[in-house]
Amino acid sequence: MYGYASFLFFLLGGIEALLLRVHLAQANSEFLTAGAYNALFTMHGTTMIFLFVMPASAAFFNYLLPLQLGARDVAFPRLNALSWWVFFFGGIFLYSSFIFGTSFAPMTPDGITGNIPINGGPGAFNFLADSPNGGWFGYQPNAGPFYSTGTAMDYWSMGLQILGLASLISSINFIVTVFNMRAKGMRLLRMPVFAWMTTVVAFLMLFSLPIIAVALFLATFDRQFGSVFFQASNGGDPILWQHLFWLFGHPEVYILILPAMGIVSEVIPTFSRKPLFGYSAVVFAGAAIAFLGFGVWAHHMFSSGISPVAQAAFGLATMTIAVPTGIKIFNWLGTMWLGKIRFNTAMLFSVGFVAMFVIGGLSGVTHSIVPSDWQQTDTYYIVGHFHYVLFGGAIFGLFSGLYYWYPKLRGRLMNERLGKIHFWLMFIGMNMTFAPMHWLGLQGMVRRTWKYPAEAGLETWNQIETIGAFTIALSILFFMYNWWRSKTHGEPSGLDPWDARTVEWMIPNPTPEYNFAVSPVVESLDDFWRRKYTEDEEGRAVRRPEADQVIADLEEIGHNPPAPIHLPNPSYFPFLVGLAITIISYGIIYHTSAWGKALIVGGVLLTLISFIGWGIEPLEDEPDDAAPGNLQPAEAH
Amino acid sequence: MAEAVHPESHGHAEHESTGVDSRKLGMWLFLSSEFLFFGALITNYLLYSNRTGFNIYPREVYDIPFTSVSSFVLLMSSLTMVLAHNAVSRDDQPQARTWLFATAALGSVFLAGQVFEFTEFIVHYDMKLTTNPVASAFYVLTGFHGLHVAIGVFMLLSLWGISRFKGRLSEEKGMNVEMVGLYWHFVDIIWIVIFTVVYLIDAARV
Amino acid sequence: MASDTHPPHPSIRQYWRIAALLAVLTAIEVALFYIDNALELGAVNVALLLILAVLKFVIVVGWYMHLRFERPLLNRFFAAGLIMALGLYGVVLAAMGILAIRGN
Repeated sequence: MYGYASFLFFLLGGIEALLLRVHLAQANSEFLTAGAYNALFTMHGTTMIFLFVMPASAAFFNYLLPLQLGARDVAFPRLNALSWWVFFFGGIFLYSSFIFGTSFAPMTPDGITGNIPINGGPGAFNFLADSPNGGWFGYQPNAGPFYSTGTAMDYWSMGLQILGLASLISSINFIVTVFNMRAKGMRLLRMPVFAWMTTVVAFLMLFSLPIIAVALFLATFDRQFGSVFFQASNGGDPILWQHLFWLFGHPEVYILILPAMGIVSEVIPTFSRKPLFGYSAVVFAGAAIAFLGFGVWAHHMFSSGISPVAQAAFGLATMTIAVPTGIKIFNWLGTMWLGKIRFNTAMLFSVGFVAMFVIGGLSGVTHSIVPSDWQQTDTYYIVGHFHYVLFGGAIFGLFSGLYYWYPKLRGRLMNERLGKIHFWLMFIGMNMTFAPMHWLGLQGMVRRTWKYPAEAGLETWNQIETIGAFTIALSILFFMYNWWRSKTHGEPSGLDPWDARTVEWMIPNPTPEYNFAVSPVVESLDDFWRRKYTEDEEGRAVRRPEADQVIADLEEIGHNPPAPIHLPNPSYFPFLVGLAITIISYGIIYHTSAWGKALIVGGVLLTLISFIGWGIEPLEDEPDDAAPGNLQPAEAH
Repeated sequence: MAEAVHPESHGHAEHESTGVDSRKLGMWLFLSSEFLFFGALITNYLLYSNRTGFNIYPREVYDIPFTSVSSFVLLMSSLTMVLAHNAVSRDDQPQARTWLFATAALGSVFLAGQVFEFTEFIVHYDMKLTTNPVASAFYVLTGFHGLHVAIGVFMLLSLWGISRFKGRLSEEKGMNVEMVGLYWHFVDIIWIVIFTVVYLIDAARV
Repeated sequence: MASDTHPPHPSIRQYWRIAALLAVLTAIEVALFYIDNALELGAVNVALLLILAVLKFVIVVGWYMHLRFERPLLNRFFAAGLIMALGLYGVVLAAMGILAIRGN
């Protein structure tokens, strides 16, 4: 469900991007009104980060983590459902701003130039201008009560609050799952890299989300209740917002990339038919990236007036992250070196990841040099950087995972020809769109600005970028068709289509509802590979004679569990709590009215009642209940 | 089959690779994240409390004797909480109910004290949420702490109710009492920090 | 499966004694407030108050929250959040000029 929802938001965010690109293809363009432009870049960023990449990663975590650990489910199934419903309602809440949001001219001071006219000014799509328009980073006091009047940024701040809560709940669930639900013998350093990256990301979320929760509460209080945290005229400090936001915001980007790095660390060894080079190093590098990632946030603030000491310290800290990142890159390359490589679609996307991420990482290193960053910041150079690491990085990684694990989901393979068309179109389109941004930025093209002048000579490359963007869109159509069609026409995969290494491939495809009929006993890293292969004197892998029988036995037992399996019962309470939180949020936005207050009261009551119901409700039926949905064993042979 | 397999005897039951109950582990993780939450709010207060030029500062209006008493009340509620948990682990339902109720009562007294304190500040000294950043910071920090206490009181009364109306708090619910206890103590230690840093140390500067 | 082997809890009497200790520490803190009013101890007052607060913190966490007797894993998780908070917010306060670092 996370997968389909996040993909829907991917498409919405993509449409927002295409509208922006059409507008930017022309100098002095009035394709979009200024207000619509602001809303589109805000919502594009917010959607892609919070409603696409994070939930898509959650989709992978939710599905794969138990499988890779040899477990049946996550540690807290109902909490898991709660995360989903909170996310679902949060996404609806945020997007309902397109319908309900309002945005007016600033309250104070009057008559400054650049004010957006009441009727929107020149351009089309002005109906979009009433959604959040203060940037995905919501800088205060611009996004505060005086400069962002109306409810648009209220939807943003409360919407992000809701979404953050969903992720925080998941992070607790995943950490406990990893620590407590592993199969027998699956020591922490025998877990697949993807499971490790899930753990690291969960810790990142656990510690960074409370910070933005506070920042958003402070901003909400400023907007709704008249507090003066960020109102400079009353002694508030806008820099505080930046510190709090980026304390979260920087770990956030590692939350976005590490899952993809985990996926790539699974795909590359499988299709190089070699173990991952330096497993421990890759794991520790991932943990190091996360830890260091907490120490570099003010590199987003180099031009905001922080002291030279701070700038030097954060610049230096930022450079250090290149070290563990480089370790991972070299280890992936080392895995491929002298391997028997199979370049199917999943592998293409993973290799593409490595290449594109290196490019994005290199531009990132240039940002760590403070005076250089002063030139680059707020220009398209930065936009180019982060799209290389996020698109060429995170998104390529996610697609790699989709092609790789599709058989797990559907029991069939995706079509390779269509997959390769998807890859090459996306690869070409992506580079066409984002490479020119580097030099356009250095030539002075500024971010987040409605128009650029014709004399600046920026138009030609912008047009090329727009063509690239539409190429990406075309590639996605191929993917969508492939995904849908392979469900019925894809080649059946069997249990082990890729001759894979890790434990999640030891159960039948598509995955049974209970995951593992019997929990495996794990004796090494890459335990499935060990069961199929041994090594000759020169260290080459030699297939064991019993390997095919091992696979056949796994298929057999996977479909015929020897003992009754009790699955958790479905519960209404997560749905109700998710709904209640959203109701409260709507109430807070409109709290000055009577019905707004009623919404708050009603929402709070619903939450409390649901908590009590949840607390009393048993997780499973008692063992002697034969409720439907509990699986009974097949007849023993 | 050549490989040993380990049949799952009960479906969901106690799968504990670490030997720590999952719910306990989850609660400790949650509490750990709360340090970041309250840390930001305390930092916010420290920042503005050290800026000059505001018309009024919370430290000028504190009633330390009063707040000391309510801090003591909250501290003692931690005692009643462990006594409640102790009673549940001995399956002494009436005792458990007594101490759970006592904890909730003490927590409510603390909250009443907060309400009284805020009212004094607002009515007597005209120090409101909207007055200046340091006042905003004070109210938001103590307000969120109070909200956490209120949620704790709600959970305690719910446990009391389950014991009273469902007959007993079961072993499974015994873990719930422990978890609520951890939460409650955490809220108490946050107040220990707030009372020292925001009240006592700040008041000494006046 | 191995269930959580419960490490021994303090007895009821011990709980009461701990509470008494906490009450005494609080009383000292409040006394310090009045002493400082009279004697203006300055940084010494701050230091003493912080020490007392840390003591109360450790006692509640260690004995009432039972962390002293639990597996080290829980200790590490809990400490991680605390250390991260102290570290990150310390840097923020330094960057914003509240905590002075040489050269700032």
